[in-house]
Amino acid sequence: MTLQGAQGAQGRRYNTNEAVDFVVVGSGAAGGSVARELTRLGHSVVLIEQGKFYSRADFKHDEFGVIINNDYCNTPPSHIQTWRKTPNDKAEQRHFLLYATAVGGSSMHYAANYWRFRPVDFDEFSRYGAVEGAAVADWPITYDELEPYYSAVEWAIGVSGQGGLDPNEGRRSRAYPLPPLDLTGPGVLLEVAAKKLGIRAFPAPMAIASRPYKGREACHNCGFCWYFPCEWGAKSGTNFTMVPEAIASGRCELRTECKVRTIETDDRGRVTGVVYFDRDKREVRQQARAVFLCANGAETPRLLFMSKSSRFPDGLANSSGMVGKHLMFNGNTAGGALFEHEVNAYKGAPVTRIVLDTYDLHDKGHWGGGGFDFRYPFPPLLSALNVPPDGPQWGSAFKQSLKHVHTHATQCWGHTSQLPVATNAVDLDPEAKDSWGLPAIRVTYREHDADLRLYKYMFDRGIELLKAAGATKTWGGPPGDDPGLGAHLLGTCRMGNDPRSSVVNKSHRAHDVPNLFMVDGSSFVTSGRGQPTLTIQALAFRAADLASQMAKRGELG
Amino acid sequence: MSDSFSRREFVATVGSIGAVWLLADASERSEAMAHAAHQVRATQPSLTVLTREQAIEVEAFASRIIPTDDSPGAREAGVVYFIDRGLSTWAQGQRPMFMEGLTKLSRDVDARFRGQSKLSALTPQQQDEVLKSIEQTPFFGTMRFATLAGMFSLPTHGGNKDFIGWKLIGQVEAMEFKAPFGWYDQPANRRTLLGGDA
Repeated sequence: MTLQGAQGAQGRRYNTNEAVDFVVVGSGAAGGSVARELTRLGHSVVLIEQGKFYSRADFKHDEFGVIINNDYCNTPPSHIQTWRKTPNDKAEQRHFLLYATAVGGSSMHYAANYWRFRPVDFDEFSRYGAVEGAAVADWPITYDELEPYYSAVEWAIGVSGQGGLDPNEGRRSRAYPLPPLDLTGPGVLLEVAAKKLGIRAFPAPMAIASRPYKGREACHNCGFCWYFPCEWGAKSGTNFTMVPEAIASGRCELRTECKVRTIETDDRGRVTGVVYFDRDKREVRQQARAVFLCANGAETPRLLFMSKSSRFPDGLANSSGMVGKHLMFNGNTAGGALFEHEVNAYKGAPVTRIVLDTYDLHDKGHWGGGGFDFRYPFPPLLSALNVPPDGPQWGSAFKQSLKHVHTHATQCWGHTSQLPVATNAVDLDPEAKDSWGLPAIRVTYREHDADLRLYKYMFDRGIELLKAAGATKTWGGPPGDDPGLGAHLLGTCRMGNDPRSSVVNKSHRAHDVPNLFMVDGSSFVTSGRGQPTLTIQALAFRAADLASQMAKRGELG
Repeated sequence: MSDSFSRREFVATVGSIGAVWLLADASERSEAMAHAAHQVRATQPSLTVLTREQAIEVEAFASRIIPTDDSPGAREAGVVYFIDRGLSTWAQGQRPMFMEGLTKLSRDVDARFRGQSKLSALTPQQQDEVLKSIEQTPFFGTMRFATLAGMFSLPTHGGNKDFIGWKLIGQVEAMEFKAPFGWYDQPANRRTLLGGDA
């Protein structure tokens, strides 16, 4: 079967009463990658996804559907969540955490920035120490331990980029498989800004194919990219890469529109399988010798809470009390600008150049740091809603401004670290339920003051970059105390060597349950600098590799 | 998705006013949206929710948000049909609020131009005067957002007739583009800007 032929197919069938080697919950960046690796290594896998398996033909340049209506996302009424600022507040219903519900998860619509983490991301606590009010810690693995898996992921899916230019990046064992994407106007403007300020802009590593790759098309520069699924199949989300490969292995059954409600355990405290609602909301029980939770940084901890039992009264694998805690999103800053000539940022990839001289800002008195790109990924409606706020907002003059802005605007986006705070958390709402009758996710979240200072610094630097690029006008302000929404869902089942302060060990195995694995954004100990997906996938490859070795040694029984 | 900023910005931009119209009605949206998207307008558009009189008022309003001048505006884009479609599908739940807003509009017109109740009967200058006086109200925000959505969403949603909105702002309707895309990424201009670094 060709990979394209596997699109939409469910793969082979397994009997629900026969234990498969692994059930993998979630087919996004993490779950799709885990399923691909486990099947490649010879294991039987049932891959369970709550959303649908869309094909290229489903994807349109429909901004109203995709962005305004959130067609592919976890919106009400099916998905309900509540939010509160502090543990003392009563939570109110709010669509705060955002992720795509489809095969591929959020990798189906990401902007596809594929920065590797750097060595400092893994041992920042040892290098720079603690921050009051935050639970910073080292990761239990190093950059060098993860490096082979970064390379493996880049080659598995086809990442476009150019390594070896930035002296501060981590060691690379392999070059990028594909050259950088076509340079765009915002990319050139960032190069101009960097030159003026005496720093360097580098080609952005992007999970979008710049050349045909493994039977997939190259990017056609259509411009409806950020937040859009790709009608060309050039965006390297797991819906176009890992999941079709897993299915093509003949060892993976994909079950879509199935909502897992609990992980079952036996009286020895071992996982025996999962219970889910199928698309007709009938309850189905799938037996498994081991389970991988890859449901994202919100749904993975939620599943653990929903799987509590007399043996695991605070939720499965939660003897540490750390499940759901340390929720992080990454900070994002943006300044708008107009330029003299046509930029036409509505064509081409969302990002083609990045500036990372702010990656480590400890010498500037901040904990963490970040990086920048120039982009204006706004389709017509968002563009119209983002005209300079001090100008006319309706009438003839507004109409004139619309004509100019869409073709002449660019923004500088800053992507930053965000501190892990114990009270920023995901748990179950005591009252609200989703459309399956399951307890809604409750989010407790507020910004750390040190992060707010970091955002201010990054926003100001972003405006400096825009001015250095020759902006005729700039606007915007730093983010405030409410991030509006969270899209990178990180930190809620953190990795660690100490079972008292972490949920999974350095192999992503639950400290409390020997045949349960969690790998996705929830594993993160710290947040990185804003582009988590490649690291999620590298962790997933590594976790699958280690779990496979354990299974083959008979250690998962 | 790899970046959360811009949707956040979007929510911040319209969340307080216009998007209420959209976002508050989530319960009926998804199915209705799917339905609406398939009802591609094959024949002459028709009204399903708004009366002819109401439609004339809505169109007059939208035409002041994006007027018709040397280029087509909200009227020519058929924004009123987008709004009518919305009120019968994904914004159904907002219908009472919207109708109330129209009634209030007629009182606002009367308050400023005694004896007159129709925005559409005023001169453009008088219409702008009325709109300016209600610029801070939720109904104005709703109408502004709905006008922009009707101007720039795919024609399958009922407005943006013949891609009038896209043409206005320079968005080319195409499934692919080839570099160079604009002025700055033309190799000669890039060389001029960057010198030896290009």
